[in-house]
Amino acid sequence: MAAEVAHVPVSERGPRKRIFSSKKGGKGKKKMRMMPGAGEKVKINPKMKKLYRKRAKEYNSDDDEDEAEPTTFEDRGDLEKEGGVSSEEEGDNVDAENDGFSDGEADEIQPGIANFSEGSRAFKTAFKSIIKNAVAEDALGPVLSAHKKLVAEKLAEEESERKVKGEAKKEKLMAGEKGHVKPAKYLDTHEKFLIGVATKGVVKLFNAVNKAQHAQKGLNPSRFKDEKVIKKRRKEAFFSELGKTPVSAAVSKGHSSGTADEGPAWAPLRDNYMLTSSKLKDWDKMPETTVADDGIGRMSEDDGSSDEDDD
Amino acid sequence: MARFKNKKKGFFKSVVKKKQQQQPNVDHITGDKIPKSFVFSRGKLPPPLKQLEMDLRKLMLPYTALKLKEKKRNNLKDFLNVAGPMGVTHFLILSKTEAAPYLRVARTPQGPTLTFKIHEYSLAVDVAQSQLRPRCPQDLFKNPPLIVLSGFGNGDQHLKLTTIMFQNIFPAIDINTVNLSTCQRIVLLHYNKDTKLIDFRHYSIRLQPVGVSRRLRKFVQNHQVPDLRSLQDVSDFVTRAGYGSESEADDEAAMVTLTSDLGRVNRASTKSAVKLQEIGPRMTLQLVKVEEGLCSGTVIFNEYGPVGDQKKDDKEAKNQDDNEESAEDVEDEED
Repeated sequence: MAAEVAHVPVSERGPRKRIFSSKKGGKGKKKMRMMPGAGEKVKINPKMKKLYRKRAKEYNSDDDEDEAEPTTFEDRGDLEKEGGVSSEEEGDNVDAENDGFSDGEADEIQPGIANFSEGSRAFKTAFKSIIKNAVAEDALGPVLSAHKKLVAEKLAEEESERKVKGEAKKEKLMAGEKGHVKPAKYLDTHEKFLIGVATKGVVKLFNAVNKAQHAQKGLNPSRFKDEKVIKKRRKEAFFSELGKTPVSAAVSKGHSSGTADEGPAWAPLRDNYMLTSSKLKDWDKMPETTVADDGIGRMSEDDGSSDEDDD
Repeated sequence: MARFKNKKKGFFKSVVKKKQQQQPNVDHITGDKIPKSFVFSRGKLPPPLKQLEMDLRKLMLPYTALKLKEKKRNNLKDFLNVAGPMGVTHFLILSKTEAAPYLRVARTPQGPTLTFKIHEYSLAVDVAQSQLRPRCPQDLFKNPPLIVLSGFGNGDQHLKLTTIMFQNIFPAIDINTVNLSTCQRIVLLHYNKDTKLIDFRHYSIRLQPVGVSRRLRKFVQNHQVPDLRSLQDVSDFVTRAGYGSESEADDEAAMVTLTSDLGRVNRASTKSAVKLQEIGPRMTLQLVKVEEGLCSGTVIFNEYGPVGDQKKDDKEAKNQDDNEESAEDVEDEED
């Protein structure tokens, strides 16, 4: 930034200067008039930022001359907006005009350093006075603001707002978690019972499988020869089953296994359900003798509590 | 469980490869149609329910779309359109109302639809966390689970329907050809007559040789050199009685005699004990409604309202194009 500032004026220092000096007076007056509107909010654009930074740097060189100032002035078109701060500066500049220019950055900095010690003295006294003040025991702690109450209010408001928000979030989370239960670390009686039931089912299936596959042990079902033998044996087993329960045999024809002991799949599960059985609409009025009664009977008979999908 | 694993790998290799690309619609041993399923949600689900959806998908493996992508604008029809060509036969639909989450189990394309209210649920993660040693072998989810339905046999139509629906949601097992080593998981549905609640559990099956001291069993299972420092002779290791498993004695009912070898440890014609360990998810369901169509149609069964409400339901059903609100209907009737 400094470099830019240094070399921009080189080309057009002379003429610009003059033009500015003539303009300055009018502008300065305008600014003064605008003083009351100092409270207006300032829009900070990059240019302004640059300016502020520069001004901060030059702050200590109070009355001192800086020839860079006019050039930056030219940069900002919207200076009027910024009100009080700039108008004050304006005054400085008007003074500065009379002095002509000093040359080079080095000159500019030197007085700045010299003035810093002076400024720091003022700062020291100010700081000391602040430190000396006994701070009231407040929940807020020390607040360096004229509107202490306002600050407190605002903070309280924020706090309450956050609380409300947190509660809403919590509520939502709770709603999402509804029904979600973490299981106990131990197996209670109910779980044990369930595992027992499942185990019974598995054992039943395994035994059935073993019984069925014992016959075809040593035969590979993918080999044609063995396949024949297996088929024959299965048929025998099937017919022996038939001899036992002639009713269920006809029913379980569709199933490939002999031990499957449930009725036919219930009508709603067939693809043509409701296309064929229109009488099912008033199913609740009919005596339930029509569908798959033998299956139910058997199910309650076998074990009473567990039946298993092994068809 | 119904899928057949042949030992002659060379012969079946090409078939296996093809299967990985596209799952068959029909079991190539028994010729039965293999049921497939979609698990998805209607409406926005909170995170735990999303997780439950994922768990259910895993449970339904391998004949389900594990990575099914759903979008907000997808309606039931979209899923139905995809289901046809892909041979999907069942939908499991999760939804949520203020009252409770709901699970709908539907058969495509024509229904019926069972609506369950989920009273309680635990995720697979929760179940695993509650266990000292959660177990998850690699090929656990490569085969469909067995299903055990218990307590449903009191002859009510809606219960019968539930039984059949859940039996058909997994491929049927042909006990003549099934390979027992593919039976790794089991899904249990237990109906409690008094509370009218269905307990839904998911277990892994493990077989353990019986009549061997724990030490020997571990030795065979673990492939680790045993610590023999305290022993005088090697024979001590074998002969020293050691205590068997505590639970071994009491469970005579859980014994199985195998006809064929099952892995390295469980040999043919030895006794093995069946051990179940929960893998989750766990749910407590209540059957609240049975509809005739796919999330539409006349209400065959309703837990809360008498059948007189049926007409009202019909009207509502007609008004809805997308049947997202059907669960809420249920809720209304509850009030």
